[in-house]
Amino acid sequence: MGDIGRAGREGAPPIVVLEGITKRFPGVVANDDVSLELRPGEVHALIGENGAGKSTLMRILYGMYPADSGRIVIRGEEVRIHSPRDAIARGIGMVHQHFVLVDPFTVAENVILGDEGGAVLQHDESERKVKELADTYGFQIDPHATVEDLSVGEEQRVEILKALYRGVEILILDEPTAVLTPAETSDLFENLRRLRADGKSIVFISHKLDEVLEIADRITVLRRGAVVGETTPAATSKAKLAEMMVGRPVLFRLERPEVEIGEPVLRLEDLTGGRLHGLSLDVRAGEIVGVAGVEGNGQRDLADVVMGLRPLESGRILLDGEDLASRSTAEIRNAGLGFVPEDRHEQGLVLGMTLWENLLLGRQDDPPFVKRGILSLRTIKDLARKLVRLFDVRARSVDVTAGALSGGNQQKLILARELETDPKLLLAAQPTRGLDVGAIEFVWSQILEQKAAGRGVLLISAELDEIYALSDRILTLYEGTITGEYPPSAPAEEVGRGMLGDVAVRGVG
Amino acid sequence: MAITATAPPAAGTGLKTRPEWLESAIGQGLALVLALVIALGLGSIIILLYGENPLDVYGSILRASTTDKDGPAWVLSAATPLIFSALAVSVCFKGGLFNIGVEGQYLVAMVTAAWAALHLGGLLPGPLLMWGVLLFGMLGGMAYAAVPGALKVKTGAHEVVTTIMMNGIAISLVAWALNNSLRYTNAPVGQNVDLRTNIFPANAKVPDLGHLFGYGPAPRLSWLFPLAVFAAAIVWFIVKRMRLGYEARAVGASAGSAQAGGIGIGSVQMKLFLISGALAGLVGMQQILVNNASTSTGGYLPQNYEATLGFTGIAVAFLGQNNPIGIVFAAIFWASLSRGESILPIETDMPREFVIILQGILIMSVVITYTLAKRRLERRQTGRVLAEEEIVAAQSAPALEGTTT
Amino acid sequence: MSKLGFAISIAFTYFTIIYLTGLGGLFSERSGIVNIGLEGLMIIGTVTGSFGAYYFGAKLGWGVPAGPLMGLLLGLACGAAFASIHALATVTFKIDHIVSGVVINLVAVGLARFLSTVFFGQATQSDPGQPHLHVISIPLLSSIPAFGRAFQGLSPFVLFPFLVVFPVWWILNRTRWGLRLRSAGENPEATRSLGVAVAPLRWEGVLISGAFAGLAGAFLSVEIVNNWREGQTLGLGFIALAALILSNWNPIRLMGAAFLFGFAQAIPLALRDWPVIRSIPEQFVNMTPYVVTIVVLAGFIGKVRPPAAAGKAYEGTTT
Repeated sequence: MGDIGRAGREGAPPIVVLEGITKRFPGVVANDDVSLELRPGEVHALIGENGAGKSTLMRILYGMYPADSGRIVIRGEEVRIHSPRDAIARGIGMVHQHFVLVDPFTVAENVILGDEGGAVLQHDESERKVKELADTYGFQIDPHATVEDLSVGEEQRVEILKALYRGVEILILDEPTAVLTPAETSDLFENLRRLRADGKSIVFISHKLDEVLEIADRITVLRRGAVVGETTPAATSKAKLAEMMVGRPVLFRLERPEVEIGEPVLRLEDLTGGRLHGLSLDVRAGEIVGVAGVEGNGQRDLADVVMGLRPLESGRILLDGEDLASRSTAEIRNAGLGFVPEDRHEQGLVLGMTLWENLLLGRQDDPPFVKRGILSLRTIKDLARKLVRLFDVRARSVDVTAGALSGGNQQKLILARELETDPKLLLAAQPTRGLDVGAIEFVWSQILEQKAAGRGVLLISAELDEIYALSDRILTLYEGTITGEYPPSAPAEEVGRGMLGDVAVRGVG
Repeated sequence: MAITATAPPAAGTGLKTRPEWLESAIGQGLALVLALVIALGLGSIIILLYGENPLDVYGSILRASTTDKDGPAWVLSAATPLIFSALAVSVCFKGGLFNIGVEGQYLVAMVTAAWAALHLGGLLPGPLLMWGVLLFGMLGGMAYAAVPGALKVKTGAHEVVTTIMMNGIAISLVAWALNNSLRYTNAPVGQNVDLRTNIFPANAKVPDLGHLFGYGPAPRLSWLFPLAVFAAAIVWFIVKRMRLGYEARAVGASAGSAQAGGIGIGSVQMKLFLISGALAGLVGMQQILVNNASTSTGGYLPQNYEATLGFTGIAVAFLGQNNPIGIVFAAIFWASLSRGESILPIETDMPREFVIILQGILIMSVVITYTLAKRRLERRQTGRVLAEEEIVAAQSAPALEGTTT
Repeated sequence: MSKLGFAISIAFTYFTIIYLTGLGGLFSERSGIVNIGLEGLMIIGTVTGSFGAYYFGAKLGWGVPAGPLMGLLLGLACGAAFASIHALATVTFKIDHIVSGVVINLVAVGLARFLSTVFFGQATQSDPGQPHLHVISIPLLSSIPAFGRAFQGLSPFVLFPFLVVFPVWWILNRTRWGLRLRSAGENPEATRSLGVAVAPLRWEGVLISGAFAGLAGAFLSVEIVNNWREGQTLGLGFIALAALILSNWNPIRLMGAAFLFGFAQAIPLALRDWPVIRSIPEQFVNMTPYVVTIVVLAGFIGKVRPPAAAGKAYEGTTT
C-alpha cells in the first residue's frame, strides 16, 4: 500500500470540505447535516444502505441538485455549484451507477460531448487525444469503437475518461463495481491506484464492504441521511461497518433450512433464442439454484423465455414433466410458475394502478375474482388487504397507487402476488436490486420459505453475495449458456472465472 | 408466513386522510376550472381586439344554447354524434392506442347502414329495421377498425398513421359506393339531384324525442341521444368493472407488466379496436337516420355528408379527460359552443371562426392543466406514502433476526 | 413514356413537400421529440404562405419572384411559431408527445379557418390572383425525348431539397450542435450529465420541424396549386412521417423514401389511363397514396431504429 500519493496525503489540507449539508425531498430527508472531508491523493469510501443519502450527497457536490443548507469548500474557497458544468470546471467529475453513454456514438464522441473544442468536429484529432489520455493512465480502449459494442468494464473506462478528459482532480464513483466481474473489479482497482498515485481524490460509493475494505483509505458511513461514523480499514471490520450502516447487528448469512431435495421440478433443455445458446439446467424440489453472471449474458432472455414473454427458437421447458415451451404466459403462470422480474417497473407492476389492481395481475382470469367477465371488487380488495398486511407492505390503503410506494414495498407487493398462487417454481431475477438491507432480508427469507415448503427456486442474480447466501447450487451463465456448476463452498474467484466463460477444464489452475 | 408482521400504520398518524378517489376528483375538477378560466381569458383578449365586449359575446353563446327557442334541443342533438365519437376514441386510448380513424370508420358505417336500410326492409319489418340499420352501422365500423387493429397487432404498424390513411381510403370508398351500388335510382323524373343514395324506408329512421319535452322538430333531438348516454354508461362499466377494461388499462399503462401478468396484449388491443369501431359506427347515424329524414321518409346518405365528426370526437375526448361521464358533459359543452357559432355573426361583430379558436385554446389548456394536475397529485401521494413509512419505521421495533421457521 | 415523364414531374413536386416535411420531423425526432403534428404545421404553412404570396405579390405589387418568396418565408416563419406550442407542451410541460401532436393537428384546422377569414374574408379558400414563381425546365435533362417531360414545367423550388440535403447531413454529423442534438435524442441523461442543457436543443429541434413543415405547406399552396383551400394537405404530413420511418431517420435515405411516396401521389393524377390502372375504378385509384403508405409501414416497422429517447419525457433531474 505504499503509494506515492499516500505520503503526500497525510497532513495535506483537504481538497473538498462539505459542511452541514442538508437536502430534503417530498416526504424524506435525504441528507441531514452531513459533513465530510476529502484529502488529495486518497480513496475515500462513502457507504450506507440504499436510501441512506450517499448518491444524493455526491449529486449535490456534482451540481445536479442544490443543497437546502450547508457549505461546500473547494481548495479552501467556499463555492456554489449550480450545475455539472460548474462542478467540472472546479475539477469534480462523477461516474454514475447507471452509465450515461450514447450507444450509437463512438468512444471519442462520448468523451468530447459538451467539450468539443469548436463548432465543427474534428474526429481524427479527438480520437488521438482520447487515445493519448487513455494511454497515460494505462486504460485499454479504442477511441473509434462504438459504445454499443463495448463490454461493461470498457464502458466504465469511457465514463472515467470523460472525467479525466476534463482535467478533474476529484472523481466520484457511484457503485462502480455493481456490474463488474471479480476480474474487472481488480482491473478497476489497479486503475484507481494509479489515479491516486497521481494525486487525484476518489470518492468510492459502495455497499460492498469487502471491496471497500480493500481499496479505501478512509471510510465514512451514512445512515438515514446522517453521518454515523468515520474510520479506516485498519480500525474496523465488515461486521462493524454493517452494524453502523444499519444500526443494529446484521446477519450475513440467513439460516438455511434443512430440506430434502426431491425430483426436478423445472428442467430447461438446450434453450436457444435471443442471447441464449443451448442453455440447460434443472431445479429440484426444495432446492435453490443460483445463476450467477455479469449482466448482458442472457439473464433477461432466460427469464423472458421461461415465462413465455419471448419466443424460443428451440429447446424444451419442462415443469413437472409438462413442456411449456410454446405456451402463452397465462398458461405458464397457471401451470405453476411464479415470476419476480428484474425490472419491477417494466415487467412487475403497473405503476399507475392501485395496489389491489396490481395484486389482481395474473389472476384476472380466475374465479372468484372475476365472474363472467366482471370484476368482483369486494373479493379482490379483501385479498389485497390480507396480502398487504401479511407482507407488511407499508401503505395506508389498497387504493394507493403502486407508484407511490418505495422500492422495497413495491418488491414486497410483487412477492405477495406471486407467492399467493403457491407456485411450484419461483423464478426470481435480481430480486433485491435497489433495496435496503431490511427489504433484502425480507426477500431472502421469503425465498428460503419457498425452499422450506419444498418448492423450487431459480434465482438469477448479478450479486455474488446473494447467490452465495441463498443457493444450494451455483451455476454460471456466460454468453447464453451455462459454463459451470459450483457448490456454495467454492471460492469466489472460481465462480468469477465461470462468469467469464473461462472454465478451467483444461486442468491447469 | 415466517415474518412477524408489524402493525399497520395506526389511524391518526397525524396526516390528513382523504380517500384517494376524492383527492383525484377534486384535483381534476380544479384543473378543469383553471383550464376554463385560461381559455375564456385568452378568448376575452381576442374579443377585445375585435372591439367587442366579452360579456356580450359569451352571453350570446350561452343564450343560444339555453334560453333561445329550442336551444337545449339543438345542443343535445349536436352532442349525440360527438358522444359516440369521443367514446370511440377514449376506449382505444385507455389501452394506449390512438384511434384517429373514427372519421373513416363512421364513413364506412354509413355505407353499410345505408345498404341495410335499402335492402333489409323485407327481412326486418316495423321497428326492427331501425335496429338492423344501427347494427349494420356498428358492424361496418367494426370491420373497418379491424384493419388498422390487425396491422398494429401483427406488424406493429403505428395506428396513428394507418388510421389516418384509412380515413383517406374511406372517402374514396364512400364516393365509389355512391356512384355504384348505392346509386340514387329512384330520382323523380327530370329533377336535378346531387349524388346520394335512395331514400330509406320510413321505419328505418330513429323517432324524435324532442317533442316529448316541448321542443319543435327542427333541432332533430332523437332517441339517439339517450342511446349515446347509455353507451357512455356501458363504456364506463366495461372500463371500470370488467376484466377487459382492467386488462386494457394495464396494457395502456405498462404493456410489459401486463404481458408478464399473463395478459394477451394483441388480443386486448384487437378487442379495443373492435369496440371503438362499433361506437364509431354510430356517429353517422344522426345524419342519415335523423337529420336527413322527414316525417314520411327514413333518411338517406348524401354526397355532402358531414365529415370531421371523427376529429371533433378526439377534441371532446380530451376535453372530457377520456372519462365516459366527462365525455358526455364535454360533448354537451362543445355542442353549445358550436351552437354559438351560428349566432355570433348575427348578434355580434365577431366572426363565427372565433368559436373555433376558443375551442382550440380550450383543448390545449385542458390537456396541459390536466396533465400537470395529475402529476402533482402523484407526487403528493408519493410524498405522503413515504412520510407515513418513515413514521411507521421509526415507531416499530427492529424487525427480523433473519431466521425462518 | 411521356406520360411517365409527366407522372415523374408531378412526383417531383410531391417529393419536395414530403421531403421537407419529413426533414422537419427528422430534426424534431432526432432531438427526442416525436412530432406527429406535421400535418397541422403544414396547414398553417399553406394558409400563411398563400396569404404572403397574395399580399406581397399582388396586393403590394411586388410581383414575381418577391411575392411567392415572401409567401414561402411567411409559411416557414409561421410554421415555426406554431410549433412552439408543441415545444412548450412537450419539452416544458412534458405532455405526452402524441397527444400534443394530435392537439396541434386539431387546432391547426380551426386556426387556419380563422386566419383565412382574417386574411381573405372567407373561411375556406383564398382570393384569386395569387402569383407563383416562373416554372422552369431543367437544362439537358428536359431535352431527353419523351421522358424529358419529367423535368419540364417544374417550380424552381423543387431544387431546394437537393441543395439542402448535404448541408443538413453535414450539420447533423460534423458539427458540435448536431452531435449535441443527436445525443439529446439518444440519451438525454448523458447530455445533461456533461453539462449540456437538453431543453434548448429540443426546442430547437421542434422549431426547425415547424419551419420545414410550414415551408412545405407554403410550397404547396404557393407553387403547386396556387391558392389556399381547406383540406389541401391531403394527409401529406402523415405520409411524411411514414417516409421518415422508412428512411430510418436519415436525411439522405429520406430522399428515396420521399420520392417513392411522391410517385404514389402522382399515379392517380397522371397515370390514370395506363394499362391495368385503366380498369380499376377511379375511386380506388385515388386510394393509391394511402394504400402505399400502409403497406410500407406494415412491412418495415420492425427493421428500423428510432432515436432511443424519442417519445420519452426527460425529467431534467435524476433521483
